Amino acid sequence: MRLLTGEGFWSPLVWLALAAGVALLAWALRSRGRQDYKRGTEQETPFLSGEPMPEGVHVGGQHMYWGFVEALRPVIDRLRAFHSGVVSDYVTWLVVMLAVVFLVVMLS
Amino acid sequence: MSFAMHVPILAIAAPLLGAFSLPLMAKVHHRLRDLWAIIVGAFTVAMIVTLAVQVFGGGIQVYTLGAEAPDATLGPEGFPIRITLVADAMGAFMALISALLGGAALVYALGFAQDGKGKTLSMSLLLLLWAGMLGLKLTGDLFNFFVFLEITTVAACGLIAYRVWESRPPEAAFKTLVMFILGGLMVLLAVALLYGEYGALNMAYLSNQIGGGLIDRMALGLLVGGLLMKAGAVPMHMWAPDAYGEADANTAIVLVANTQAGLYGLLRMLFTLYGGAATPEVGWLITSLGALTVLVTVLMAVVQHRLGRLVAYGAVSQIGYMLLAAGVALVTVGARPEFGQLALQGSVFHMINDAACIGLLFLCVGAVHRATGTGDLRSLGGLAHTERWTSGFFLLGALALAGIPPLNGFASKLMIYQSVFMLSPILAALAVLASILLLAVFVRAFQGAFLGPRQNVVSKPPSPAMLIGMGVLAAVVIAFGLFPDVMVRHVVAPAAEALWTGRDAYMAAVLGG
Repeated sequence: MRLLTGEGFWSPLVWLALAAGVALLAWALRSRGRQDYKRGTEQETPFLSGEPMPEGVHVGGQHMYWGFVEALRPVIDRLRAFHSGVVSDYVTWLVVMLAVVFLVVMLS
Repeated sequence: MSFAMHVPILAIAAPLLGAFSLPLMAKVHHRLRDLWAIIVGAFTVAMIVTLAVQVFGGGIQVYTLGAEAPDATLGPEGFPIRITLVADAMGAFMALISALLGGAALVYALGFAQDGKGKTLSMSLLLLLWAGMLGLKLTGDLFNFFVFLEITTVAACGLIAYRVWESRPPEAAFKTLVMFILGGLMVLLAVALLYGEYGALNMAYLSNQIGGGLIDRMALGLLVGGLLMKAGAVPMHMWAPDAYGEADANTAIVLVANTQAGLYGLLRMLFTLYGGAATPEVGWLITSLGALTVLVTVLMAVVQHRLGRLVAYGAVSQIGYMLLAAGVALVTVGARPEFGQLALQGSVFHMINDAACIGLLFLCVGAVHRATGTGDLRSLGGLAHTERWTSGFFLLGALALAGIPPLNGFASKLMIYQSVFMLSPILAALAVLASILLLAVFVRAFQGAFLGPRQNVVSKPPSPAMLIGMGVLAAVVIAFGLFPDVMVRHVVAPAAEALWTGRDAYMAAVLGG
């Protein structure tokens, strides 16, 4: 049950067995943790950055990776401009790429 | 003459006739239409599976239209003038992908599409697109390749545009139509050049004749350009997120199969039609475009806030992986064939893995849209409280797409990484980096739409037909992930072999000798 991948192999069933072992270990460690958690008390009050938050607040998907996106802002802005949504731009890129393909094919 | 001999043409004819008869059934009763769609879909899948069993068990199947016997490929003067269907392992493999996605889409559409909102039209066009894709994958005639390409264009654009009461789908369809027509014209011009040069349209005959002269290379340039666009390679990919993002869920997954049909066409032209005439420089071009496709589309996926477009960019990024590996195969075909063969196997295996996990994700997007009336991540949240099946399926598809073990995407990506590494460690590193980014993108999508407190009122949970459609694809994701070696040994390796060393067998099957 091994998939040869050139330099090595991949066996999902062995991986699953190892993952089950790790999960068991994690469960064993967790079961040795604090036992004083109580449902329905203020222990369940949500906090965000140390500040108490009202219930029902959702950190939406658009807020994740804000820093990453900001750091790459110049690249992403160019990519957005590149995806202009204007069909004549699409056709221009098709023509440009056809020229590139022709160049490679004819010169090779 | 046995029924089994006619399987190749029946696989194409069933959805084609089904497409045109479906509106008539709908005139009688909408339940009759649904029943007819199930019968046509089941028959088509059965024909494709039968064909695959014949091909993987007994070799290339040839079917000649208009001949006294289906295997009489040559005319009275010993020239292949009739239209032939040639199903080798690669063609049968691609037909299996269309069976998987076409079947899942049809079942899903039964529960997803609404009467009075174009259900009959969408199901008819879906069957027409299915027929076009199957014809494209099984034809052995270059002009018919163009004809089926055009059938897929008309059906795909109709499927994107049929919701005319909304503004965005017709616009997306128009852009796709413009690009597909230009790509189709490039293919037609290439066909005309080759016909003018050799006076034939049969692919096996042409493959025997092509030597790499000026006309041959001009035709190759046109074919590569047109089919790279159809496959969605950057920077000619921009129609794809528009089309996938605006189409219905059941439409989007057959569009994925249609895009893969374009990639199949490219591989067929490069490996079978041109064989040794396709140089390593062409391989480097395809490798570079593959790497560019992976990076650009993953970065664009990071900033999408509409779930459909996010998955659409993820879908295009996977085409990049396939192109990357196919390019490596072309580059190393002479120098390091052992890694070239592995790369081609990785590319081919990734096609069916991508079909299953991207298909699953698109169907989940449809279920989210149906449940909440929106696909905007800024207004979604907490769907896992109520939409448990959809949440589970989305997580499964996202993890598989990002290449997390032990799911199917990991196995094919591992083959791609290792083979690309032998050509260029930098490209392999970029491919791994893009996969990590893709995981981040789908973690964001899952967190935004499914986790956290409830943000949306779920009005319509997924119907049983929708769950069956998603369930089939989820089962494939898990099964191919747990037993990739079985799939590679019995299906993927013969399919890749048909491209890699199967050119002579292809020609012999059609031309004899």
